[in-house]
Amino acid sequence: MKNLARTLDSLDFLKLDRRTFMKAVGALGATAFLGTYKTDIVNALELAETKLVWLHGSECTGCSESLLNGGNPDIAQALTKLKVNLAFHETICAQQGIWNDGKLVNTSELNSEILLEDLYKEGNYILVVEGSIPNGPQGSGKYLMIGNKTFKESLGEAAKNAAAIVAVGACACWGGITNAASDVEKDTDYRGVAYKKTDASKGMLKELGIDKPVINIPGCPAHPDWILLTLGAVILGKIKIPDDLGDVLDEYGRPKVFFPPDHTVHENCPRRGYYDRGEFDEQVGDQHCLWKLGCKAPYAHADCGIRRWNGSVSMCTQAGGPCINCVDPGFPDSSRPLYVEAEDEGIAGTNIDTVAKVAVGAAAVAAGVHAVRRMKGE
Amino acid sequence: MVNVTVDPLTRIEGHQRISTEVDANGVITDAQSSSLIFRGFERILQKQDPRDAALLVQRICGVCPISHSLTATNALDDLYGVAEHVPKDALVMRNIFQGLNTVASHATHIYVLWGPDLANPAYRDVLTTLEDTGNAVWKEMVGRFAPISYKMDGTAIPAGTSYMAAIPEKKRLQEAIALIAGRMPGPVTPYPGGYTYKATVGDIVKLSSYYLQVMDFVSKYTLQVPFNTWIENTYKASSPDKAVKFVVEHLQGLVDKSLASNDFSREAGWGDAEFYAAFGSELVGETLLGLPASLKHDKIGGYSDPSKICFISYGGYYNVEDDGYDPKSPEGSRFITSGVVTGKLEYQKFDSDKITESVSHAFYDDSKGDLHPSKGETIPFTDPDKIVYTEGSKSRYTWDKAPRYDGIPGEVGPLARMLAMKEPLVTGLAQAFNAKGYSAANVYTRMMARIQETAIVANQLLQWVTVDYDPNGKISVPIDLNASKNSEGMGLWEAPRGALGHWVSGGSDGKVANYQAVVPSTWNMSPRDSKGIPGPLEQSLIGSKINPVGDVDYTNPVSIFHMGRSYDPCISCAVHTIDLTGKNSPNTLRIV
Repeated sequence: MKNLARTLDSLDFLKLDRRTFMKAVGALGATAFLGTYKTDIVNALELAETKLVWLHGSECTGCSESLLNGGNPDIAQALTKLKVNLAFHETICAQQGIWNDGKLVNTSELNSEILLEDLYKEGNYILVVEGSIPNGPQGSGKYLMIGNKTFKESLGEAAKNAAAIVAVGACACWGGITNAASDVEKDTDYRGVAYKKTDASKGMLKELGIDKPVINIPGCPAHPDWILLTLGAVILGKIKIPDDLGDVLDEYGRPKVFFPPDHTVHENCPRRGYYDRGEFDEQVGDQHCLWKLGCKAPYAHADCGIRRWNGSVSMCTQAGGPCINCVDPGFPDSSRPLYVEAEDEGIAGTNIDTVAKVAVGAAAVAAGVHAVRRMKGE
Repeated sequence: MVNVTVDPLTRIEGHQRISTEVDANGVITDAQSSSLIFRGFERILQKQDPRDAALLVQRICGVCPISHSLTATNALDDLYGVAEHVPKDALVMRNIFQGLNTVASHATHIYVLWGPDLANPAYRDVLTTLEDTGNAVWKEMVGRFAPISYKMDGTAIPAGTSYMAAIPEKKRLQEAIALIAGRMPGPVTPYPGGYTYKATVGDIVKLSSYYLQVMDFVSKYTLQVPFNTWIENTYKASSPDKAVKFVVEHLQGLVDKSLASNDFSREAGWGDAEFYAAFGSELVGETLLGLPASLKHDKIGGYSDPSKICFISYGGYYNVEDDGYDPKSPEGSRFITSGVVTGKLEYQKFDSDKITESVSHAFYDDSKGDLHPSKGETIPFTDPDKIVYTEGSKSRYTWDKAPRYDGIPGEVGPLARMLAMKEPLVTGLAQAFNAKGYSAANVYTRMMARIQETAIVANQLLQWVTVDYDPNGKISVPIDLNASKNSEGMGLWEAPRGALGHWVSGGSDGKVANYQAVVPSTWNMSPRDSKGIPGPLEQSLIGSKINPVGDVDYTNPVSIFHMGRSYDPCISCAVHTIDLTGKNSPNTLRIV
C-alpha cells in the first residue's frame, strides 16, 4: 500500500481506472487521499486559499449532514489541510440576512447577504449547490425565496462568477425527490443545476442561459468521500476544468471512479455470497440476499460495496435494507416500488445501461441454477 | 418604529424569514414568521406500495430522517395490524436508533447551530464594560462557542474549543447509528412488523464503546459535575424544588470560587452546561447567584398570554417490557409520555382529534375553513404575484400552515416533552420563572430543556443497549400485504424538534389512498390562524427586546437570532406537503 500511495502521489486520481483507484484510495477514503497527496497539500499551503460557496436550494440538508458526519479527517480538518475557506454555508455560517426598513444593514461579518454580494463580486470560488431549484410557478421561481430574491436568481448570480460548479446530492443533480412523479410536478417544475432527471436540456443553468460545466455528485445523500475527494481534486488542480471533464465524468456528469459504468453495488455486496448460492430472504431481519425484497444493487453504479458508509461501518444491504439505487438520475421513481423485485415490475423508466442489464440477467440465471441445485440437494 | 427583518435566518434546516416591527425602546410590537419554500413532493406515495413510505418520507428532512422513518413505520405497523406484535427487541432497536439521533441532533443544535450566537459582538460590547469579570466571561464565550470562518472587526477568530470538539462527536454518534441502520443519513432499517437488522454481540460492544467516547466529551466539555451525580439529583430528584435546589447550590459553589479569581474556565469547574445555566438567566444568575451580569435569556422568547399557548408531546420511545405497543400512545405508555400542558402549567391528556389546521395566512386557498388534518385540503397559489412576504400580519405571508390544539397554538420540542413527563429540573425551573413573573417558557428554559433531555436520553440509551436488548431475540414478525386494504394507520412519535404524527390509509387495492404528516416546526413556526392568534414563535417575539442586553441596535438584533433558533426549526419538515388524498382534484394539495 505504501508503494501504491507513492505512485498515486504523482497521479491524477480521478483519471485512474476504477480498479486501481478502488484498490488504493477508494477503500481508504479521504484519509488516504490526503495522505497520498501530501506533496500537493504542502504546495497548496503556499498557494492562495480556495473559497467555497455552498448554496442550499430546495433540500433537506441531508447532504450537508452527510459531509459533517463523514470523512476522516473530519470536514473541519480537511478544510484546514486543503486551505479551503468555507466562505458561505447557510447551515453553518455565523451570518444571517439582516434588513432595516427593507435595506441591508451591518457588515459582511454578520450579514449573509452582504457577504454573498462581496463574494460574487470577487468571483474565483468553487460553487457547491445542495438542493434543487424550483422554476415554478409559471417560470417565476417564487416557490423558493431567500433574502428577498428567488433562489433561481441567486443561483444565476453565483454560477456566473464561479470558477467551478459542483452539484451535491440527487436534488441538485437532477431534482431527486422533488421531481418524483406527482400531479404538482408541472406547477413546481423543479430543476437540477444541469439536468432535470435525465434531460440535460432542462437544467436550471441552461434555463438561465449560463453555459458552464457541472460536476454531479449524486446520492441521497451523497457520500462524504465522494464530495471531499472531488473537491480535493478540483482544489489541487488534479483535474482541469473543463479540459479533463470529458474523460473523468460519465454521460450524466458523474465522476466515473465513484460511479463506474461497468461496476454496480451488487458486485461487492457483503451478501453477495448468498446470492450466488441462491439463498434469498423473503422476510426482513435475516442475513441472506435481499434480491427478492426489492434490492436494486445490480442496477446501482456506485462503489458503496467497497467504500461503505459512516467510517466504513456498514451500508444499506449490510443492515438488511434493500439498495434503493439513489445515485440514478431517475431516483426515486426509477427504484420504485422499493420492496418489490425489479423483474416483477419491469424496469421501465429507469436508466440502466446495457452492461448492467446483461450483468443482472446473467447473475439471475446463475442464481437460478444454484437455487435449483440447492432444492435438489446437490 | 423600524422594520427589522431577518431573512434568511441561517443555521437552521431550511429557509425562514422573521419580520418584526420594533419601537424606540427596542421592543418588538409585531412579528411574522415566514417559511419560504414550497417543495410539493407530496403525492409521491399515492397509489403506491405503502411500505415505500418509511424510506421516502425521511427525505422530507436529512437532519431527522430517523424520526420520519420511525413515525411512518408506526403508521404502517398500525395499517398492517401488527403494532401489538412487534417483537420487544425490534422496539428496543428502534429506541436506540431514535435515541442516538436525538442526542446527535441536540448536540449539533446546541454547539453548531445555536451556540455561535453566544460569540456575537453585542455580548463583547456589554461584558467588557464590566472589567475583569466581564472580560473573563466574554473570553469563555468566544473561546468556546465561536463558529468556523468567523471574523470580528476584520480579525479572524479561531473556532471555539467546544464547537470544534462537538463536530467529531456528532460524527461518532452518526457512525453508531450507521452500525445498526446501514448509513446515516438515509437509514434503511425501519420496516413494518419490526426492524431489518439484528444487532450482534459485537455491535453491542461497539455501541457501548461509542457511548463511552461520547461520555468522555460530555465530562470534558459539557458537564463538570459527574454525569451520574447530575442525573441522580435532577432527573431522579424526588421533587422539582429539590432538582432546582441541587443545581443552584452546585452553581453557587462555582460562583463563590470564581468571582474571587475571575476564572470561569472548565478547569475551574465550569462545563458548558454549568456556564450557560448560571450566565444564561437573569433570575438564576443575577438574582439567585449574585452574578454581576447575565445574558438575560429568560427575558426573551416568552409568552405574554398563557391562555393562548400550550405545550404538546405525542409521546416518544416505546416501553420495552414486552412485545407490541399501542399506536394511540396513551398517557404513560411511552418512555417520554404523551400529554398536553397548558400555558398555566396544568396537565391534560393528549387527544389527536383536537388538532385542527388553518391556512388563512398561508399561500393556499382556504374556502373550507379550519379542519382536522385528515379532512383538510390545500390548494397552493400558482399566481407568482400572490406570493409576497411584505404585506404584514393581516396578509398571507408563509407556506406554513397553522396547526392548533383545541384552538390554541402549541409549542412542541424538548421543553414541551420535559413538562409533559414532569421532569423535575425543567418543571422546577418553569415553576420558578412563573412564580417570579417571568414566562415559564423562554429562550433559557428552552435551551436548558434541550440540554437536560440530551442527558436523560443518553442515560437511557445505556439501559436499552446493555440491559434491554437481547441479541438472540426476535427482530420482526411477517406482515400480510393484503392487510392494508381499506385499513388505516396512525403513527405518533417525537422527533428531536418535537411532536411528529403521520396518518395513512389504504385503498381497496391495498395501495396508499391517503398519507399525511403534521410535523414539529409547523407547530412552532406557524403563522396566525383564522382567529388572528399568532403562532408560538410569533408570540415569543412580540414583547421581547431585540437586544437581550445593552443598547438598542436595530442592525444586530441578537434576540431574534436566539428566539428563532431556540425552537431548532426545520423548514423542510414544516412545509413538506404530504397529502395523498385520492378525493382531491389533481391540482389540490395538502400542506401540513
